[in-house]
Amino acid sequence: MRISDYIGQACGNLRKKKLRTFLTTSGVVIAIGALDCMFAFGQGIQRNVTEQFNKLDLFNYVNVYARGSSRPPRDHYDPDDGGGPPMETGAVDANVPQLDAAFMEEVKKIDGVEAAFAELRFPAQIRLGDKEQFVLVQVLSADVCRPMPLRAGRCYDSNEPNGLIISESLLRRLGVNDPAQTVSRPIEVATLTLDLSPRTLWRMVFSSGDQALPIARETHRFAVTGVAERMPFGGMGDAYIQPEAAGRMRKLSVTSISDFFRPAGEAANYPSVTVKLRSVKDVAPVKKELEARGYRTWALMDQLDQMRIGFLIMDMFLIAVGMIGVTVASLGIVNTMVMSILERYREIGIMKAVGATDGDVQRIFLFESGAIGLLGGLFGLILGWAVSMIVNEVVNAIMSRQSAPRMEYFSFPWWLCLGAIAFSILVSLIAGILPTRRAARVDPVVALRHD
Amino acid sequence: MDADGFIETKDLTKAYVTGAVEVVALRGVTLSIARGRLVGITGASGSGKSTLMNLLGGLDTPSSGRIRVAGRLISDLSKKELALYRRNTIGMIFQSFNLVNAYTAVENVAFPLLFAGVARKDRLRRAAEFLHTVGLEPRKDHRPTELSGGEQQRVAIARALVNQPQILLADEPTGNLDSKTARQIVETLADLNRNRGLTVVMISHERDLLREFAHEMIRLQDGAVADREVLKPSL
Repeated sequence: MRISDYIGQACGNLRKKKLRTFLTTSGVVIAIGALDCMFAFGQGIQRNVTEQFNKLDLFNYVNVYARGSSRPPRDHYDPDDGGGPPMETGAVDANVPQLDAAFMEEVKKIDGVEAAFAELRFPAQIRLGDKEQFVLVQVLSADVCRPMPLRAGRCYDSNEPNGLIISESLLRRLGVNDPAQTVSRPIEVATLTLDLSPRTLWRMVFSSGDQALPIARETHRFAVTGVAERMPFGGMGDAYIQPEAAGRMRKLSVTSISDFFRPAGEAANYPSVTVKLRSVKDVAPVKKELEARGYRTWALMDQLDQMRIGFLIMDMFLIAVGMIGVTVASLGIVNTMVMSILERYREIGIMKAVGATDGDVQRIFLFESGAIGLLGGLFGLILGWAVSMIVNEVVNAIMSRQSAPRMEYFSFPWWLCLGAIAFSILVSLIAGILPTRRAARVDPVVALRHD
Repeated sequence: MDADGFIETKDLTKAYVTGAVEVVALRGVTLSIARGRLVGITGASGSGKSTLMNLLGGLDTPSSGRIRVAGRLISDLSKKELALYRRNTIGMIFQSFNLVNAYTAVENVAFPLLFAGVARKDRLRRAAEFLHTVGLEPRKDHRPTELSGGEQQRVAIARALVNQPQILLADEPTGNLDSKTARQIVETLADLNRNRGLTVVMISHERDLLREFAHEMIRLQDGAVADREVLKPSL
């Protein structure tokens, strides 16, 4: 028999039993649609995370910590590594490599390093117009900040100590939807800090009421020079200012408790330094070099394999849930094929009497089963795509009320589309194996006598 | 076996086991049919006529004994080889016509060509030619349910001929027909035997009708050949 005849036979036989074909195929459509949806969701999340990391260049960064740092990287911290107990905060051991200004100069000379900046963040109250938000401010020099993608405006120059870059998401929280409107507008940054100066302590002891706590609030005026599309360098800050401006401010650092006690203007070691590399390929050699110099390092790149395993587990879970529907649908196919074979029992006898081999008979019914799978896969893909589009729109509509940027939660790469159809056909063929083998084994003498 | 026999059986036995009971349908049938003959097989119900026909047609396999057709030992063929034998060497006609009701007359006739790998267009053209041979071309687009018994049997004859077999096996082809139509069908088969040189083996209860056209008659009784009568000697 020719392939075209198998296809013709399958289509013709399915057309004869339209309702049954429709119902059986519907089961496959729903199962494949659900499986597609779930798999596309897993892919979408994976793509969003990976793309976001790539856009933020996060894989190109290495965080560096001093060996005795009070905050060693979690994944690398080993109490038995011979590095000694964590040093007391603020203490400096001359034998331990420090993260200081000299290090910042040295690290830039390592091959593959593009830039380095200290991890300095502090909480602050930001006021724009009549609205205020409590945010984290990141200290970033002009040269490091310059390649940052901006929605509006520009990066501050090194001779603009009062320049500030604000994130688009913070702007939305401050009620501004057009980033361009904000450029050049004045903005206030207020810090809270402990004030342990003798004058304050004197007032604490000898005055009463609101003077009892050693809290100081400082307000500094800045001008917005640019609006960042997204926040790179870990995305932890909502605003960026220059080191000179930060140095003038008394502030409560979230990266080191030493700022509590350090008098304003005194230089200090950095709790950590972020090193930006030219390419992902530079991560391993630069890490090796820094560790050889006695520093601890941490890179997101190291976590990539674990992330992949995490995504794989998530995909497996979603597929397992989706497979319940596929199993039910395949039982429907088995039932339909058994019914079809019983109904056409005599016809099978005729086929054999006129020269059909067992293989011909089996293939005729397998093509029928496969055709159900093909239809189910195609329409299931369309259903899955349509449902995911609706869910995507609904979720985005809800998230937009919370000022979240639009995201595509589902991803339908070409291999998923083709794979869904192929999988549907495969499942249908497997479901059809037993009934079609039964058809192939029909005794023509018995079948020809059958009414 | 007879060296001249086109169809030969030797000690052919067929037994069916139904539960604990063994039913012997054929008991050591030995016969020989020459090429181009029209042979009538008669016998009472349960005498083993249809069993013999199924064995000759390759639809069934013997319990013991041998069948040789056109020099090939049919009783030793595999299932696939038997299917090819049915496709290429044998044409079968049944009492209940055995047409596919979902197909038109021409599609039914073309059905064997489907398994022979003939393209659809050629299948339908050839099927229409054979329907013309049996005088049914004008009814080619009708389904079996729209045809009379005689017409249905003609469609079945056309279907049996479409692969141009060497042997036509007819298992009570007149059983469901009135006497006039039965005569027409037997005449058609006799014409095919005469004009196309087809070897025809036909089972029928209508002994007298069969005697008019058959070259020889074989009577089966209790699964064995009871007697054999040559009506027209071969040339």
